Amino acid sequence: MGGFLSAVWDVGTTDTAYTAAARFAVVLAFAATGEWVAERAGTLNISVEAMILAGAFAAAMGYHTTGSVAVGLLAGTVAGAAVASVQAEMSHRLTADQFVVGLTLNILILGVVGFLGSEWEPSTRTASVVEVPLLVDIPLVGPALFGQPWPFYLIYLVVPVFAWLVHRTRWGLEVRSVGENPQAADVSGIDVNLRRRQAIYLGGLSAGLGGGYLLLGQVGRFDPGIVAGRGFIALVAVIFGGWTLRGAIFGCLLFGSVLSFRLTLPGLGYELNNEMLSSLPALVTIVAMALFAHAVRQPEALARPFIRGLK
Amino acid sequence: MSARTAQGRVVEVVALYAGCGLAALVISGLIVEAVGADWSTVGGALLDGSVRKPGRWGGTIGVTVPLAMVAIGTIISTKVGLVNIGQEGQLLVGAAFATFASTRIPGPGPIVLVAILLAGIVGGAIWSGLAGGLRYWRKVPEVLTTLLLVSVASNLVGYGLKKPWLLLDSEAKRGNRNLVSEQLPADTRMPRITLFGNDFAISAFLAIAVVLLIGWMLNRTLWGYRLTVVGHNRRVARRFGISESVQGMVAMLASGGFAGLAGALMLTGGDFANYRMVSGFSVSIGWVGLLVALVANNRALAVIPMAFVFASLRTGSGFLASTGIERRVTDVVQGLIVLALLLPPAIMFIRERRRALAAAGSRV
Amino acid sequence: MTKAENGLESGGPAASGPPPAVCTRLLSKSFGAVAACDAVDIDIHRGEIHGILGENGAGKSTLMKMLIGLVVPDSGSILVDGEPARITDPVAAAALGIGMVHQHFSLVEALTVWENVALGDTGRLSRPGVRTAVGELSERYGLRIDPDALVADLPVGLRQRVEILKCLRREPDILIFDEPTSVLTPEESDDLFRSLRGVVEREGRSVALVSHKLTEMLDVTDRVTIMRNGLVVDQFVTAEANAGSLARAMVGRDVRLRGAEQMTPVDTGVRAVVDGGGSPPVLEFRKVEVGESGALLELDDLNFNLMAGEILGLAGVEGNGQRVIADLLSGLRNRYGGEILVNGSVVDVGQPGKALAAGIAVIPEDRHDSGVVLEMTVAENLMLSDPAGMSSHGVIDGSGLAEMADGLIERFSIMCTGPDAPMWTLSGGNQQRVVLAREMTAEPEVLVAAQPTRGLDVGAIEYMTDQLRQAAESGVGILLISSELDEILELADRVLVIYRGQVTGEMTRSEATREKIGRLMGGDIL
Repeated sequence: MGGFLSAVWDVGTTDTAYTAAARFAVVLAFAATGEWVAERAGTLNISVEAMILAGAFAAAMGYHTTGSVAVGLLAGTVAGAAVASVQAEMSHRLTADQFVVGLTLNILILGVVGFLGSEWEPSTRTASVVEVPLLVDIPLVGPALFGQPWPFYLIYLVVPVFAWLVHRTRWGLEVRSVGENPQAADVSGIDVNLRRRQAIYLGGLSAGLGGGYLLLGQVGRFDPGIVAGRGFIALVAVIFGGWTLRGAIFGCLLFGSVLSFRLTLPGLGYELNNEMLSSLPALVTIVAMALFAHAVRQPEALARPFIRGLK
Repeated sequence: MSARTAQGRVVEVVALYAGCGLAALVISGLIVEAVGADWSTVGGALLDGSVRKPGRWGGTIGVTVPLAMVAIGTIISTKVGLVNIGQEGQLLVGAAFATFASTRIPGPGPIVLVAILLAGIVGGAIWSGLAGGLRYWRKVPEVLTTLLLVSVASNLVGYGLKKPWLLLDSEAKRGNRNLVSEQLPADTRMPRITLFGNDFAISAFLAIAVVLLIGWMLNRTLWGYRLTVVGHNRRVARRFGISESVQGMVAMLASGGFAGLAGALMLTGGDFANYRMVSGFSVSIGWVGLLVALVANNRALAVIPMAFVFASLRTGSGFLASTGIERRVTDVVQGLIVLALLLPPAIMFIRERRRALAAAGSRV
Repeated sequence: MTKAENGLESGGPAASGPPPAVCTRLLSKSFGAVAACDAVDIDIHRGEIHGILGENGAGKSTLMKMLIGLVVPDSGSILVDGEPARITDPVAAAALGIGMVHQHFSLVEALTVWENVALGDTGRLSRPGVRTAVGELSERYGLRIDPDALVADLPVGLRQRVEILKCLRREPDILIFDEPTSVLTPEESDDLFRSLRGVVEREGRSVALVSHKLTEMLDVTDRVTIMRNGLVVDQFVTAEANAGSLARAMVGRDVRLRGAEQMTPVDTGVRAVVDGGGSPPVLEFRKVEVGESGALLELDDLNFNLMAGEILGLAGVEGNGQRVIADLLSGLRNRYGGEILVNGSVVDVGQPGKALAAGIAVIPEDRHDSGVVLEMTVAENLMLSDPAGMSSHGVIDGSGLAEMADGLIERFSIMCTGPDAPMWTLSGGNQQRVVLAREMTAEPEVLVAAQPTRGLDVGAIEYMTDQLRQAAESGVGILLISSELDEILELADRVLVIYRGQVTGEMTRSEATREKIGRLMGGDIL
């Protein structure tokens, strides 16, 4: 235990650890922010993994063809929305089971990008680092938050915009109501499944952007295993955060730190249980749900399809 | 409900399935053409690799077996109304338990073989049982726990493969740093036979027997009857004294048990990883087995042909190298087929509902 | 009193004076073979509270749903301010100035009061704007509420206030209230009606008040339209009516569809088993309580006995605890207070299957909810009550099952393609026969029949009533739960009236009259 605490201390005083944590966390945050919207509208969207992957691949292709990071990111965003369209139309128009569709998409997209990736072999690099003057000099966390490749900073835009959309606009009010009580929303004249589809589309945009960042801001080279379960961790972060955006972002930071721990410790000369750390997000979430499943209020209609006249 | 309308319905369903299946193949063909290959050579290579070339049935059967086991387990949990999507993890834990048992249990080969299979069942059942327990005692949705436990399982197995006291082969290959378990001794492997020039493990017969048995049990025994009642109407079940949590737990344990058995059969069968546990041992068999169950629309009898089709895609992909196209194209075909086959039931549901609404006069 | 005497206009909108705020002409709607509304003419004028009175299933709710656009009429027309209107959905209704306060709340619990009020509006969402509007409305109508409170935290009475504010915010000309007081305490009801009176008198709006409570109609409305079996049967100016005349009209003085009046009322002495010599009742409720403390109890200190061979009719307006009783006796409720005894011994019906084992058979109100499994076959549904008897060593005896099912299909004249027909392919009446067949062959001590003839056609109704009578004659105690007075009067030896989870009256068949039961159902104490 003492060894563990000293390891935490050592990592906590290493600024590269913060940079790594922020990088892990920001991919999760892009995905989790979108997933949060979808879940607030009532969809437990497990195809978020596929959305990130499609985003990463499209970003790679976008950059490969045009040499522009911006175009790459845009392509990633569009690809995320394309995956979302299949999820949304099949589960909230054709009434196919949302988990089945999500699962199938995860496997299908892995196959598609794996195949196309090896056929086309896009060559890419990471975007250049842009430092924000002054702020980057804050000790420890300065470089982590303000000394990153420029797509990183999009998160400072995405999170507040999504929060504003959901909490301050009429659209957001309707999204929240269809996730809580679709029957009541329906009686009030709201097209429940339309709002749910829109929320998934938005989730796809954000997750696709996250995929684009993952590739062009962080990894720099496309590989079909690039996402490595980040989508599931993002999904878990939303649940862990009790379906609030603040909580979800906190979850992303926490899980991001855990992942960076794994990277940083060997450099500091520690032996570590890599597998244990990798399992932590899942384990923490399972334990948290087992303890608080009653206490935390999830969107009342989460994962329940709405068909007018059927409960 | 005249015979005519029933017949019309059958025609409609068949046409829908045919149309959607065809669409999936056409899209697959287009993707193949898009990367500059020829779809007919690719299709031919897939057929050669899976069934057409001499001896290829054996390998395909070897992949069919675990897929069918995973799928039949999935059907059991679906029957009772649970969504188990963690077969990949349950399979891994089953395989790990089986490996552990193989190195620890002494005795004559055949007995050890049975013990290995049982250990696999126990491992898988523990893993799904965790999710089932949390579902019924803590109200944690089983969709999430089964999914999350997949990554925990793969990390756990990764850890085990580093520790000699768990799974790591402690003697051989000390020099190279491969994380593998001890290879099964010859007498604890599943015996293989050769039929018509195809060599495969006799577990194929076991798998067919198990699928038929479970299919029969689900339809003809009180156990299957109770599962079905709970799955369709929990309140009716309760009124007639059928406990939802008991039936659900049993179904969940059985579901994971079969995934675990699939893992044990992969270990002992010889078609995967040469009788060893390695990292990434499950090679998505759990996920694909789940898809098989979906595509079979939860009918036990459809499991065997569907598992065989998906196994063919996998073994057929080995012959794609000569066509110059990446073998992963089969993952695309597989995903498209599944997506396409999800459509007909959904479309039928919407149509029938529309008809019912028209008959009842758009009651809201 | 005929329509003409009441001065009811016939034919199109009145030639003189302003046209009614809303009126319907020959408005009809059928669900399958049942006419929910049959050529309904109704006029709701400006500045009046118009009561619409009728028993359950009389067609009131369907009529209102057509006005609000939730149900599309088969034929007939709706005129708003004299102009023909096509109302396709609630949004269209709102645009025409028609708003409805729903019986089952349309509120989202996780949102605040002001968010709920804003839900369904269009345009930019402005928190201060909506909050101010809520404040003004509360002030204007005396419906005080905290706009920032979470709806989940509000008691039922206040939730209804939110619902009303949500409706009033659209400034509707016509407000429809569907059973507004069923969830309110008497004081809350008084408050509500005071506000309504203000809305009508000060602002010239109209209110349509749907209810089956006579006292409400008399106290609050200006005029009352009475519906029965989908027809408008009568209309009164409230000042000229009294409880007696309304009750008579509601339960159908001159409509004798079921022929109940022609039959000799069943003499309680005919069946010797009633009050039988000293043996305990087959079913007894002792101080049974269901519900959360604090809120209105669903069942409140409920006591009654059911003797062998007796048909005990439980009359009452729906939602007064009947469903809870049926659920309890089906073993579908975990928690309850008091004791339930079968043949003198206590049975814990909270345990699944215990009620069944004790000999309680149930024909549930909603057979799709807890009566049948639609996706399974007729034979599989028939074996539910005794699956072990149809199997050996856990294996279902297929041929024995088919034989049993064939026998029952013939005996109970179930129309289906055979024992293997999926349940959903059967008509409602035949599904009901499957339930009856299964429950009767279990040889029960007690048979709970909840709304057993609802939605059935005439032939099926006759069949069902015959079966219930036969069962009683063979010594089964029958608890007949029904909101149809005719059914109760035709079948029951003894009548209990339930209101808000309590028995408000008990009488033998010979003492029972429509008026008496009707008034007890509306909450009057004898």
